[in-house]
Order: sequence, then structure tokens, then C-alpha cells
Amino acid sequence: MEVRALHSLRGARVAGDKYFTRLMSAAVITLGLLLIALIGSLVSASMPLWAVQTPLSFLSTPAWITGIEQADGSTVEVYGAAAALFGTAVTSLIAVAFAAPIGIFGAIYLVEYAPKRVAIPLTFLVELIAAIPSVVFGLWAVKDLSLRLRDSIEWWIASTVGQFIPWLSEEPGSPSADSIFRAGFLLAIMILPMIVAVSREFMRSVPVSLREGYVGMGATKWESIRDVVLPTARIGLIGAVLLALGRALGETIAVTMVIGNAEGIPSSLFLPGNTIASKIANTIGEATDVQRSAVVALGLALFILTFVISILVRVLIRRFAVIKAVS
Amino acid sequence: MTEASKSIRDELLKPDSGSVRRSRIDWIMRRVFEASAFLTVLPLFVVIMFVFVRALPWLNPAFFFNNPLDPEPGIFNAIIGSIQMSGLAMLITAPIGIAGGVYLSEFASSRVVSIGETLIDILLGVPSIVAGIFAYLLLVPVLGFSAWAGSLALAVLTLPIVMRTTQEVMRLVPVSIREASLALGIPVWRTTLLVTLRTAFPGVLTGLVLALSRALGETAPLIFTAKGTNALNFLEFGTTMNAMPLVIYRYAGAAEDQLVGQAWATALVLMAVALAMNVAVRWRTIDSRVA
Repeated sequence: MEVRALHSLRGARVAGDKYFTRLMSAAVITLGLLLIALIGSLVSASMPLWAVQTPLSFLSTPAWITGIEQADGSTVEVYGAAAALFGTAVTSLIAVAFAAPIGIFGAIYLVEYAPKRVAIPLTFLVELIAAIPSVVFGLWAVKDLSLRLRDSIEWWIASTVGQFIPWLSEEPGSPSADSIFRAGFLLAIMILPMIVAVSREFMRSVPVSLREGYVGMGATKWESIRDVVLPTARIGLIGAVLLALGRALGETIAVTMVIGNAEGIPSSLFLPGNTIASKIANTIGEATDVQRSAVVALGLALFILTFVISILVRVLIRRFAVIKAVS
Repeated sequence: MTEASKSIRDELLKPDSGSVRRSRIDWIMRRVFEASAFLTVLPLFVVIMFVFVRALPWLNPAFFFNNPLDPEPGIFNAIIGSIQMSGLAMLITAPIGIAGGVYLSEFASSRVVSIGETLIDILLGVPSIVAGIFAYLLLVPVLGFSAWAGSLALAVLTLPIVMRTTQEVMRLVPVSIREASLALGIPVWRTTLLVTLRTAFPGVLTGLVLALSRALGETAPLIFTAKGTNALNFLEFGTTMNAMPLVIYRYAGAAEDQLVGQAWATALVLMAVALAMNVAVRWRTIDSRVA
């Protein structure tokens, strides 16, 4: 019998049960109220900004603050999120570009090839990466990873294809201390465990008999993965990448530590920039008045982005109880 | 066997060029997958090694038991601050999260379950900095920069974790256990608390530990709520508070070796605590997740 039906059997219930269930349901209602309060406070605190400019002009203006002289001689400040949006989009895309193939391939190894005595510790280690606080990743990146990337991949790309493609070139003279590319690379490392965990879960759910049938007809292992496992788990893999993308968009502290927090849209991936999250972290403590509501508006934009991704993932993979592998 | 039949057999057994190519690709792909799996775990070892080597020279009693402004500086106030803020967040989160998980698993109609799960998904996806803004907007105008605002932000982040894990593990408890209890005439509420929840308790505890480890490592929402301080503060309304992640963040770019060293040492402590908590609760159930 279904649990809920069991609990509503008339004979089993006593007077206290009604209050007990209500008390329990209050917790779920609290969760709903919390979300409403969150949205409400973000929207209402960003109102002063919308009195000055439209959301579209906010999102499309590259400069964070511009003073505009009015007819009566006073100046009105307008704000722009385009540079931060650009940084968020680029770092997240770099992260996914690195992490998606490596993560999915790693998951394929765990599910299809690894013997149990290898798969168990390996899966465990991947889970542990997700447990390391992001500020620790940030510290490591500032003191080690960043410098290594600067002197290896960045230098190599900038001195070959960077000669011809401006947005892959380095500052003439010395390479800059921080860069968007390094932030994206660090994000790739941080979202890898999530991609591995979720895509592994979906590939595991592909029935063994499908693979056996294909291999039985003479296909190689790789062919059975390419033609059976990956197509069957396709939706889950997209979901895994989307979830990781959501994580990358919102990651704050590690990115703030390595991205350089420079104003404006940089002309090259190897120059410092900022993201929505890093801009908020750097600005909100000192911001007052309209500037404060502009920072909150950044937060609202970030929330809407992650909200859309959460809903998208839920619609995509509703039938699978896979998110548990993540949290 | 005659010479002729031997050559026919050899001819038949000889792999054709197509299958040689296919098995070669198969071999290459296998190596690619192995390499990728290796790459996914590589950062763990690199980070642990690096933090360990850099932090070791700075670990001494003074580091743990002195405050930042003492002659021999330490991070005592940050340790105490982290414990207070995460502890308060868990005190808020645990009852609400467990109750909500119990409700979703035991009593909610399928529509409420679907709404509740969607809410949890959305809150799980909320970036920590957005939770920080929420706490900042709600409490900082009233209290000023304060540890309470930090705790609120941490609670927002940990609540969906606790609720999700509680719901998941309650669902795994066999229906027959509830049936047996109810058949004995035990009321639903006692059955739920003393039989179902109790059976699921190790799993619920796992959720709580994972949430606590998340709260201890969270930095972004604390920058503009608890803010960090050199003083040893306790939970009063309107006092700032230090926390271990804040120490790392603030000292990472410092010019003095002493401060950078403290950042490394703090990172080691924080990472060790987070890893230990995760190992403790995850290793027990790893078989069921891999098999």
C-alpha cells in the first residue's frame, strides 16, 4: 500500500495526528515562503534602479557607472551589467567546454570499463572533490594553478593562434596577473565532479541487455557505447551539463580570487575581467542608494538565470531521481 | 589436416581490415576514457598535496588558540566564529528540513510532492551569493553587519539539502515497517517519529553532516554579512564575526608571508574537516551507489 494512503486510514489515526501532519506541512510551506521572500526582497530592493533605467539598458550597458548630465545641470548615474554578464557567460562556457567532455568520458570509464575495485574508490574520490570548499580552490588557484596556466596553455595559445586572433592574444610585454580564461579553467575543475556524478547515474540506468544485444551482434565495446549507451542516456547528459553550468554561473569566491575584477569588457580571454557574482561580492559591502539596488539587480539577474536552469533540468529529467547524486 | 583445408581455415580466421581498424579504435577510445577518469581525480591530489605542503610550517598551537591581534597571531576567533554561525544555521535548518522531508515522503499528495520537489530544486540551484544578498537585504539594514545575517544565509543554503536527503531516505524505509507499527495500534505520529524516522535516521544524519560541511566552507555570503573581524565575538545581535573561509579569502592576497601562511594553514584545517565529514558519511554507503 502506498505510504500516504496508509497514513490516512481512518482506523489508524488519532486526534493528534491532524496537528502533527499540519506541523510537518508547515516546514514545506516555510520553504515556499522562503523562496517568495527571496524573490520579493531582490525585486523590491532593485526597484530604485528600475526607476532610473529599464532592465534592457541595464543589461546592455558595458560601463558599470555612467554619469549622464541632465538638462538642468544635475547628473543622473546609470548602471550597466553587460561586462559582468559577458564575464559570467565566457567563464561558464570555458568551464563547460573543458569539463563536459572530460567528465562524461570519465563517467563512461567508471560505468563501462572500471572493475568494481577500481570504480568504488574512483567514484568516492570524485565525490570528495565536490566537498572541498571553493575558497580553498581559490587559494590554490591564486598561488599555483593561475601561474601554471599563464606559463603553459595561455602562453602557448597566445604565441601561436593569438598572433592572428585578437581575443586570444596576451598583453604585449608581460602577461597579466589574472585572466578570464584562468577563472574558466578553475571553474571547469570545480564542476567536473557534478558532471561525472550525474552522467554516471544516467549511464548506469541504461539496461545491460541493450549493450549485450549490440555486442552480441558483433559490435565492439566502443561501438556499443557510441550507438547504445550515449543515445539512450542523452537527456541525462544534457541535464548533467546544464546543472554544472548553473553551478558555474553562480560560483563566486574562487572566481573573484582569480579573475582580476577589472571593469569593462576585456578585449582578450587572457585579460582580467569580472562576472556577475564577483561584481556583487566586490561591490555590495560599500554600495549605497541606487548603486546598491544596481548590485541587487545583478543578483536578481543571476537568480533568474539559475532559476531557469533549475526548471529546465527538472522538466528534462523529471522521471529520474537523479538530483540526489548531486546534493 | 590437409594443406588446403589449413589455408582455408587461416583465411577464415584472419581478421579483415575493417575489424582490425574497429578494434584499434576501440582500444584508443578505452585509453581516452581511462585518461579522462584519471584527469577527473587528479585535481583532488594536486590540491591536497599543495595545501598540505604550504600549510605544514604554520601549524602550531598559537595558530589554533590565539587571536589575530595577539603577538603570535592565530585564527581562534575564526574557528569559534565558524562553529557559531554554522551551528546556528544548522539549528534553524535541521528541524525545518527534517519536518519538510518527512511531510513530503509520508503525507503529501503527489501534487504537493511535485511542488515541494521543484521548490527544493530551485533552492538547491540558488547561488550562495544570492542567498547572501537575501540575508544582507533582510538583516543588515536592521542589525548592521552581523553574524546573524551570515547564519541566515547559510540556513537558506543548507535547508534544501537537509530536506532532500530526509525525503529520499524516508522513502527507502519499507512500507511493511509502518504497517507493522500501525497494526499494533500505534498512532500515525508516533509511528512516523519513533519507527519510520528512526529507521531512516542514519540517512538523515548523513544529510545533516553534508549540510554542515557545506555551511562551514561557504564564503561568498559571509563577506557582506558577518564581514570578518579581528575580535573574538559571540552571537549577539549586530556584531560582526570572523570565519575560517573569510580568513583564507582576506589573507590570500596579503603581502606578508605570515598572513599568507595563515591562509594556507586555515585552508588545510577547513579542507581536512570537510573531507573528514564527507568520508565519514559517504564511505559507508559507497557500495550501494556504485554497484
